[in-house]
Order: sequence, then structure tokens, then C-alpha cells
Amino acid sequence: MKYELVSGLETHVELATNTKIFCSCTTEFGGDQNTHCCPICIGLPGTLPKLNQKVVDYAIMAGLATNCEISPISKMDRKNYCYPDLPKAYQISQYDMPLCKNGYIELSNGRKIGITRIHIEEDAGKLVHQRGNTYVDYNRGGVPLIEIVSEPDIRSVEEAREYVEKLQMIMRYIGVSDCKMQEGSLRCDVNISLRPVGQKEFGTRTEIKNMNSFTFMEKAMKYEISRQADLLDSGQPVVQETLRYIVEEDRTESMRGKEDANDYRYFREPDLVTIEVPAEKVEKFRAALPELPDPKRHRYIEQLGLPEPDANLLVKYRKVAEFFEAASDGVKNPKNVANCIIGQIFRRVENEAQKEAFEISIPPEYLRDLVLLLDSGKIKMNLLKSTLEKMLDSGKPASEFISENDLAGIDPDTLKTLCTQALEQNPNAVSDYLGGKEKALKSLLGHVMKNSRGRADAMEAEQLLIALIRS
Amino acid sequence: MSISRDDILQIATLAKLSVEESELPELTKDMAQMIAFADAINAVSTEASDFDNINGLVNVMREDVVEPSFSRDDILKNAESQDDGFFLVKKRS
Amino acid sequence: MQTSYSQIHQIRQLLDSKQLSCSELTQKYLDQIEALNPSLNAYVKVTAEKAMETAKAVDRKIADGGHILPLEGIPMTLKDNISTSGIETTCCSKILSGYTPIYDATVWELLQNQNAVLLGKTNMDEFAMGSSCETSCFGGAKNPHNIDCVAGGSSGGGASAVAANLAAFALGSDTGGSIRQPASFCGIVGLKPTYGSVSRYGLIAYASSFDQIGPITTCVEDAALVYDAISLQDSMDSTCRGGSPASHALKDDIKGVKIGIVEEYFDGVRDDVRAQINEAIRVYESLGADIVRFSMPEIKYGLPVYYILACAEASSNLGRYDGIRYGYKTAHYDNINEMVRKTRSEGFGKEVQHRILLGTYVLSAGYYDAYYKKAQNLRGMIVKSFQNAFQNCDVILAPTVPTTAFPCGSAIQDPVETYQTDLCTVPVNIAGLPAVSIPCGFDLKQLPVGLQIIGNSFCEAKILNVAYQFEAAARTSSFQSVNMGVQL
Repeated sequence: MKYELVSGLETHVELATNTKIFCSCTTEFGGDQNTHCCPICIGLPGTLPKLNQKVVDYAIMAGLATNCEISPISKMDRKNYCYPDLPKAYQISQYDMPLCKNGYIELSNGRKIGITRIHIEEDAGKLVHQRGNTYVDYNRGGVPLIEIVSEPDIRSVEEAREYVEKLQMIMRYIGVSDCKMQEGSLRCDVNISLRPVGQKEFGTRTEIKNMNSFTFMEKAMKYEISRQADLLDSGQPVVQETLRYIVEEDRTESMRGKEDANDYRYFREPDLVTIEVPAEKVEKFRAALPELPDPKRHRYIEQLGLPEPDANLLVKYRKVAEFFEAASDGVKNPKNVANCIIGQIFRRVENEAQKEAFEISIPPEYLRDLVLLLDSGKIKMNLLKSTLEKMLDSGKPASEFISENDLAGIDPDTLKTLCTQALEQNPNAVSDYLGGKEKALKSLLGHVMKNSRGRADAMEAEQLLIALIRS
Repeated sequence: MSISRDDILQIATLAKLSVEESELPELTKDMAQMIAFADAINAVSTEASDFDNINGLVNVMREDVVEPSFSRDDILKNAESQDDGFFLVKKRS
Repeated sequence: MQTSYSQIHQIRQLLDSKQLSCSELTQKYLDQIEALNPSLNAYVKVTAEKAMETAKAVDRKIADGGHILPLEGIPMTLKDNISTSGIETTCCSKILSGYTPIYDATVWELLQNQNAVLLGKTNMDEFAMGSSCETSCFGGAKNPHNIDCVAGGSSGGGASAVAANLAAFALGSDTGGSIRQPASFCGIVGLKPTYGSVSRYGLIAYASSFDQIGPITTCVEDAALVYDAISLQDSMDSTCRGGSPASHALKDDIKGVKIGIVEEYFDGVRDDVRAQINEAIRVYESLGADIVRFSMPEIKYGLPVYYILACAEASSNLGRYDGIRYGYKTAHYDNINEMVRKTRSEGFGKEVQHRILLGTYVLSAGYYDAYYKKAQNLRGMIVKSFQNAFQNCDVILAPTVPTTAFPCGSAIQDPVETYQTDLCTVPVNIAGLPAVSIPCGFDLKQLPVGLQIIGNSFCEAKILNVAYQFEAAARTSSFQSVNMGVQL
């Protein structure tokens, strides 16, 4: 039978605050085990949580950036479960009054994935199992998280990936998280169920926990979809359960035994007071949000006339977009700036982390000044390219590499002389060209460009060469 | 509400307490007595209350400023078992 | 030989006038503790060395003419659920045996800043769950008025120590009556402050939305003095906003003050206790107060509401004792899950396990609405009912306990029956209000009877003023100190 995927995601995003959610210990990643700890985050008897204002602020920003309503009143609750990585035996989280709700994210295919809620909570510590012994490190315990819960609106593995990528992009844009999957600062639980195409009711779902890479998420989803399809095809029921994905064997397996039936016994956290977010505060945050990737992309295409693929590449990283915008300020054709960034500059920032940081040797104004020279016809594209390379190598402005002489351009007489010289010095190339080898013309052109030290306009020179050969 | 042996075992599992078979009859009796005591509130009808936290405070929060953590020796000081800076739970004992 | 209590202002005067050095004074207390504690079992730990160290520092400061603070050099105790850095803090539970905090409770930090002399940690019901002090893993504290009777609970050790002149004051904690009830049983003064006026940071939690630290003293003036010293806003406790000073208001005239008498507080109160309370009401009438009588039907549900909500919170608060980070850990197990379960079952006493189970039950799926949620609604109704009451009166007078101190061993036999002891004390915790218990006479067996004065939120000054006026008018007939301990 043909099935349709119904999937929803719970995404945990570690917030980029300086301190933990309920104490003033650092959130820095790494660090020797149990050195970022205090009585509060190891849950010593008698300690009380102190809520970090920044966590609330960041969650509000995340909510606004994903089209959520911000709750004017919310509170913290205790989620009770006993596990060695949870020092108080309860996680302080939000149950029935989350900070944000009813948002969405729009995918490139135009479908909107609903966001049910975003709430704040604390992370657990880390367990290391070795030879059956358990070693506990509470450095991560109490690091602030937001949990972003989506509606079961996702219909394909590709949509799931794009949804997470978009979340990641947005969270980075607004600066609330670095969303590094490999460091665990973005992790997903994926709910999966299948239903026969055309059926309205949802099937029984399973939940794959803790996906921390796009590749594994896709693989795990594909595996689970085919597992469920096989079960349904053979008339067996899907059991509602929590699964883990085993990377080495590319399969999922059940995480919990029956004896640990979960009953979190949520109740209000009595040690913390009500959180009120006045409407004025929400509006202040809304006004302070940066332009988000989607509107930015539309603007690049509609107003700056960039082709869609270029716009996509530029908006993916906030710093790249900022560089582009500064460099194209006042430029006639922003496409020229885009070409410089996507071509020459991107060759120098290869991986994702480098693009995210986008540390370039020149400020965007240097690139703008260079492109303005092109705009005004003072230099040609090939001089622009070679100059940009020199600028990137040295971090110096264009004026260091382009002389008054260069800016003067090349007069028609000189160009004609250079072309004639090229023909005279390369009789073989001329005869090759006449013999039908188009390529030979390029070599002649190369000579002209070289001898003009890049000042000649390649198009002009090419036409002149053809004219001279034929004359 | 009445409470059965199985209820007790289920609650004990949630509460991470181990209950010996021999303790069950007396524990079931004690719990039944406590629950009967709690059941007194069933007699009264209540409207949903807007009862909030007990002293009505809102938005008590702190600034996001790092303070030094405690020394690891202090953090591990009260642990029965530790190894290489970790809290340790041996497989069995 | 009739003796008198050692009040803070007397000690202050002796120290400041250099008639007695703080070292001599502290030594007297330590000697008496050594002599009497074996029979009273009030202290579970004596911190002699540290006490003498502080005393010497106080002596130096007095000799140097330094600025002397109100509690400087005053010998005192802390209940064993108040965290003291470097000093074992066990909640009188096996599960915290050997646990030495690495930080100080805020109240202890405040008292240390005043150089109060800590004599030791005092006995309590395990995790403050009990009304007799007998669920302590060290055995119960005895009542100095009759050592065959309990000191009360849960802060029984502190009350016993103060009543027997083994400390000038004690800090206890009150979740459902744990300061007021033992103060009543031991014939002394116990103040349960407004929820949120004293920091709970470092108080090992029983029920977080009920717990509050307060003073146990021999007179109202001392209670006000200690309350003023500890009721400060604290950034470590989000629910704490501090209180306003009460010491200055004690001598105000109470003519025309409206005193509420609530019918339901007298349900099931023993006749000889009721007689003493009625006598106290007459004293107030003679002082010019107006008596207003009314009914508050909602408080009848106080006990089950309290037990449901407090146990629910306790079941969560006590989840952390798993043997991994601190405290007792079972010797034999085959896997982590078994380790945790055995540790908890061996480490917690019976009453504590009962309350954890009840709390887990009322929060669990299927029972939450019928118990926890309903009790929470009732809590809201009780809060409102007090708000209405305080439209009609300034304070409410009630017995602290329907009875007086009961014989040792009787509470253990019938725990649920013992819950009834808390009938008159729990409504105040449910509503987060302040209340003070002061002695108002004796029953037929010559055991002390306590009078409870309840006020609106943050009205400590008012209830202490009303208490002080009674004390001034009736002290000779209603207070009787015991013939033991330190005599000044």
C-alpha cells in the first residue's frame, strides 16, 4: 500500500547565554568534568533556582522570529523523573503555560509547518558508561534550552530537514543559539507515523530521540518509515514507543522497558514566581529583531534583482548577508557584489563554521569601492577580479593596486597596437583560428590582456582581433 | 478512593522506593487510611481557583552574569564514590 | 527554686556591661547542654569548638569597643534542616547521614554576620515530617516541663532547648505548625513569619510553598528581635521579599484593636485548653480590644488540603536523595535502579516514605484532578476566606494546638490521628500568613497551653504587638519556666 508520512518534531535548542538558567555558573562548552558546577546546579538540599532574565528574553525572540504569540503570563513547572543525570530528580520546565505558542515556519514549497509551542527548561548532566560503571558530569546540567514543538505537519524527510535547517538559520540570525548539532546545542526528537494516502486519521506514532546530525536524522527517518510500512503491509500494529537510532547498524530500537512507564507528575514549581511579559516588552523585542532570512531573500530578489540561487546563498548566514548589504550600498548592480562574494570570497571560507563567522580580511566598504570603479566604467571586470584577489590576500584597499594610469583605461589606438602586435607575434595562432580553431582566439586575447596589464576590455579586444584577422 | 496492592507497587516504582512483599499488607492499610483522610475534600465542591503562587510576586529574575563555580573538590566532597572528577556509580556493589 | 528564662535583652546587658564575658556565658551553656542533653535529646550535634571561637571574637570586639549588633554573642541553635557549611546537616534522617553542606543558609549567614554563637544543631522530626519530633533518626526530643512527654514537632529540639535554657533562642521551620506547636507544648514563644518574609535558601525543603523559617524564643520581644534580624530580602530566594521591622511596635496600645474569634478553630479543642484560651480572650477585653466572632467554614478542609499539597511537594523535593551526590548509599545492589530504590527505602524512615507515597499518588495520572488540583482550588478558597476575615478584624485568636503535649510514643502508634494535632496550625501555612504562639496558661496536668495570634500577610509587627500586650499583662500567671539549664 502507499503511505503518507505524518511527522512532528521536538527541537531542543541550547541558548547562547553566559550563565545557566538557574545559577550563575558558566555555560561554556567543554571544560573539565564537574568544574562548571555549584550547589544549585548539582541540586544540593536547600538550594533554590534563580531564573536568568536572558533566557526569557531569548525565548521571546525565538517565538517572535517563528511567528508565535507571546504569553502575557506564564510559569515554571516541575517535570518529575528520576535519572542520575538529573540531580534534583525533576526538570524545571514549562507544562501548560509555555512562553510562546501558535507559530509557524514556511518551507520553500510554500507549506507552513505549525509550531505548537516554545518553552524554556534546563538541560540535564552527562552520563558516561564504562564497563558497566556510570560516571556523572553535571557541567551541562542547568544549561538553558528552548524546546520548539511542531505540529504534525511534516510530510516528507526533505521537509523535516528543511524545517530544522530553517530553525537553525533563524536561531542563528537572531543570535539566541549557535545551533551546533555536533556539540549538541541543537537536538531533535522526531515523531513518525504513517497513514494510507487519502486517509484522514493519524496512525500510531513512534518517537526517535536525540537526533544530532542531519544525515542521521534523514537515515533514521527513512529507516523508521520503511519499518512501519513493512509492519502495516503485513497487517501488524505499530507499537507506540520511544526509539533510539543506532548509527552503526542503521536501525532504530526501543529505548525503555515497560517497568519505567512515564508519569511526570507535573506541578507548578513553587520556588519560582510568575513570569509576566507585558505587551510593550513584546513590541520592543519585535522592533529590535533583525530582518529574517525569508523577507531578506524576497527583498534581494524583488528589489535588488538577484537571481534566486544567489539570494539563497547570501541569506543563509547573517554575517554574509550583512557584508553583502554593506558592500552593495550605493552600487548600481548588486549582482556584481554578489558575484564577488559567491565566487572569489566563498572560495576562501570553505566550511559552514567559517561562513557563519565570515571573517574576511577586508571590510565590505573596500569591496564596494572596487565595484563602484566598475560601475563608473573606470575598470573592467578582469581587473576587478585580479585586484580583488590581491585585496583579499593583503587586506588592503583597491587603491593600493590600481594606479591612476589603470583608471585612465586604454585608448583605442593603444588597443589596436596591442592587437596588431599579438597577431604579428603569433602567426600560428592566427592560422589555427582561420583553420576553424575557435580556441586560438583565446590565446591571442590572452596576449592582449597581458600586455595591457589587464586594462583592456576583453569583449572590445576580442572583437578587434577578429576584425583585424579578417581584414 | 480505595487503593490496591498493585497501585502501591506502581506508586512505589514512580517514587523509587522498594517495597518488600512482607511490608505490603501493612503499607496498603496505612496508605488506605491516609487516602481516606485526604478524601475529606471530596465532600466540598470547589470552583476553579485563580490560586497562583503563594505571595503573588512576579518577574523575579537575575542578570546573566557569570560568577565563579565551586571547586570540584567541594562539588564531589559529599559523594560516596567518585573517580577522576566524576561522580561514580559502580555497576554493582 | 523558681528560676527565670534567659532573655536576649538580659544577656545583652550582661555582655555589654562586661559583667560576664561571652566566653564564660558560652561555657555555661555548653556545660548545661552536656549535663541535660542526654535526658532531653534536644541537640543532635553540639558545636562547642566553633561556639567558643565565636565567643572569643565577641569578647575581643567588646573589649575593643567595637560596634555591637543586637544578636552579637547570643548563644543559639539551628534546626538540623538549616544548612551550615562545614557542619553536618542531616534533617535527622539516615539518608543524609554524613552530609556536610558546602554553603550556608541565608539565615545562618545573617546570624553569623552578627556573631551569634551557634551552640549546635537541634533535633527534629525526619525532614520536618511529624508533630512529636519522634520520627527523628536520633529519637525524639523531650519536653522540659515533663520529660515523659514529647517536645512537639517538628522543631522539637529547638523548643526543648530554649525551654530548658540550653539556648537563648532557636531557629526552627514551620510547614504546618512545626514552630508554633512545639513552642506551645514547651510553654515558650514561636513565630511563623509570613511566607516570603524570611529567605528559605539553605533550608532543606519539605514543602516549598509552605516552609518558612522563624524564631523560637522565651519572650515576644526576643521573637521580634530575631525576626528583624532574619526577615531580609534575599536574591537567592525568588519568593522572598523580606519583612518590615517589628521590634519597635511592641509597646503600642491595643485599645480598639479588633480581635477575631473563629468558630471552626475551636472544633475538637480539649476543654482545659479551651478554658485557657477563653481566659486569654478576657484579658484582651480588659485591655480594651474589641472581640469579633465569626465563622470560616473553609478552614475545616485545612488538614486534608495541607496533607495533599505538602506531600505532593515533598514527593518531588525528596526525589533527589539517590545516594549519588551526597548522603547515605546502600551497600549492596546489582544495578543503578536497584541502588537508588534500596538507598531510599533504607535511608528514609517510615513516615517519610508514607508521605512520599501519598504525594506521588495525588500527583499521578488519574488522581491529579481529584486530589492535587482540587486541593489547590481549596487552597485558593482558604486564602480568600482569610482575606475576607481580615476585612473585619486585625488579628485572629485561636488555640495553637487542640491539646497539650502528649506522652512519648503515642504519636507513633497512630500517625493519622496525630495529624489532627495540626488542625489549628495548618490554615496559616496554607494561606502563607504570619502567626505567633505564646503561652497562655496550663492544663490540668500542668502542661503549657499555647495561644495563637494570626495576622494578615506581612503584619508581623501587629501580631507581635498583640502578643506582647498579653505577655505584659499575664506573664506571671501564664508563663512558668522550668527549673533547669543556664540561670543568669
